[in-house]
Amino acid sequence: MRIYFLIFFLIFFNFKNLYADETEKWLKREIDIILEAYKNQNLSNENRFLLIEKTINNNFAGTGIAKFVAGEAWRKSDKNTKKIYIDNFKRHLALNIASMMQGYSDQTYELTKSKYDKKNQVTLIDMEIFSDTGSVVVTWRVKESKEKFFVIDLIVADISLVVTKRSEFNSMLKKVDNNLSKFNEVLFDQNQESYQKITE
Amino acid sequence: MSKKIIILIFIFANLFTYNATANEADQVKTNSEDFETTSIEDEVYDPFEPVNRAIFSFNNAADRIILEPIAKGYKKLPSPIQSGINNFLSNLRAPLIVVNQLLQGQGENAVQSSGRFIVNSTVGVFGLFDVAERIGLEEKQEDYGQTLATWGVGDGFYIVLPLFGPSNLRDTSGMILTMLTDPINAYAVNEGEAWLVPMRTAVNAVDQRSKIIDEVNALRDNSVDYYAAVRSSYYQNRNAAINNVDDSELTPLPLISIEFE
Repeated sequence: MRIYFLIFFLIFFNFKNLYADETEKWLKREIDIILEAYKNQNLSNENRFLLIEKTINNNFAGTGIAKFVAGEAWRKSDKNTKKIYIDNFKRHLALNIASMMQGYSDQTYELTKSKYDKKNQVTLIDMEIFSDTGSVVVTWRVKESKEKFFVIDLIVADISLVVTKRSEFNSMLKKVDNNLSKFNEVLFDQNQESYQKITE
Repeated sequence: MSKKIIILIFIFANLFTYNATANEADQVKTNSEDFETTSIEDEVYDPFEPVNRAIFSFNNAADRIILEPIAKGYKKLPSPIQSGINNFLSNLRAPLIVVNQLLQGQGENAVQSSGRFIVNSTVGVFGLFDVAERIGLEEKQEDYGQTLATWGVGDGFYIVLPLFGPSNLRDTSGMILTMLTDPINAYAVNEGEAWLVPMRTAVNAVDQRSKIIDEVNALRDNSVDYYAAVRSSYYQNRNAAINNVDDSELTPLPLISIEFE
């Protein structure tokens, strides 16, 4: 009986380690694509951003995050407005992450810690970015869906990108009476401005 | 001909893979538990928002014109000089950290912080070198705002202080307590060298700002409401500090905030 228990324990323990390894490997691969894009001098700024945007769209649960940060306004909106909002949000997310990663592109990093949050079924992976004077820890929240991994949040200095966006959008949505259609205009304009900055 | 077909197949295959992966990403369902938040966190008590926004705009302009350019210049200094300044300033904070750790009943941490102060002030040449870190005495931050929170004092309303940045009623009270009780500043004033107090605050602001140039720019350039983004960031960071969940002490707050020393 003890042997069975031991076997079960070992299999379970190894499975957890393999799972964490697999998640880390996947995340490292995707982070490297983004950082390599910044190092590649042959890419124009526009193409570099498009490559990064594609990587982010493939690996972030953009639609899920978009719904969450829109809060109440999401429920009240029609299908077409929602679709436009999701497209705007995905670009907004890509611009935010690309802009942040740009600052880390000339630094080295290590994935230092991986933790599985059983309650929320989310894996937290710490990425330590080193500079000459210290280091910064970025935590990636990763969720598994249909045997694939997707990033659902980024946390820098205990500040969640998604929670910050939700608060920011909530404040702006209040100004437009929770009208997602009007908010789409604001978000589109902001995206245009951010896009100009990142590609100039 | 065959080459064209191969290229076409490659393009279609690529597009299909991209769409398939993007579609899979679209189907991931999320809920508030995933982000460990609730709708309550969206509501920060900010009754003076119009005034706060005006001060925030002033601070933001001051940052763009004065603090950020100086911080960028500071970042060009050789890294041992930057580290030396940072270590020296951190060491000056240690006595008050010990006081706050004791007030919060963190005896073990207080002993560790005292050890850090002694080792760095002596072997570390007045705190210029962080020798204590190398022997396992880690730096931990505690201030009066955190102490008051531990004692059950609520946040109070949100407030943006001119030049000092985001705060709330409790943390502002904590900052005033720091002003009144800091032994290093009291010593400087007693010795007739009161100018050292604002000098210390200014150097600390530049040092802290130099560490978050990219993070602040990323937030500032990509926010639909920068004020709300900074407000939310402030509360998230403070909550983590109060609950001592921060395991990345080296990471400074990615928003403009000047601490009073």
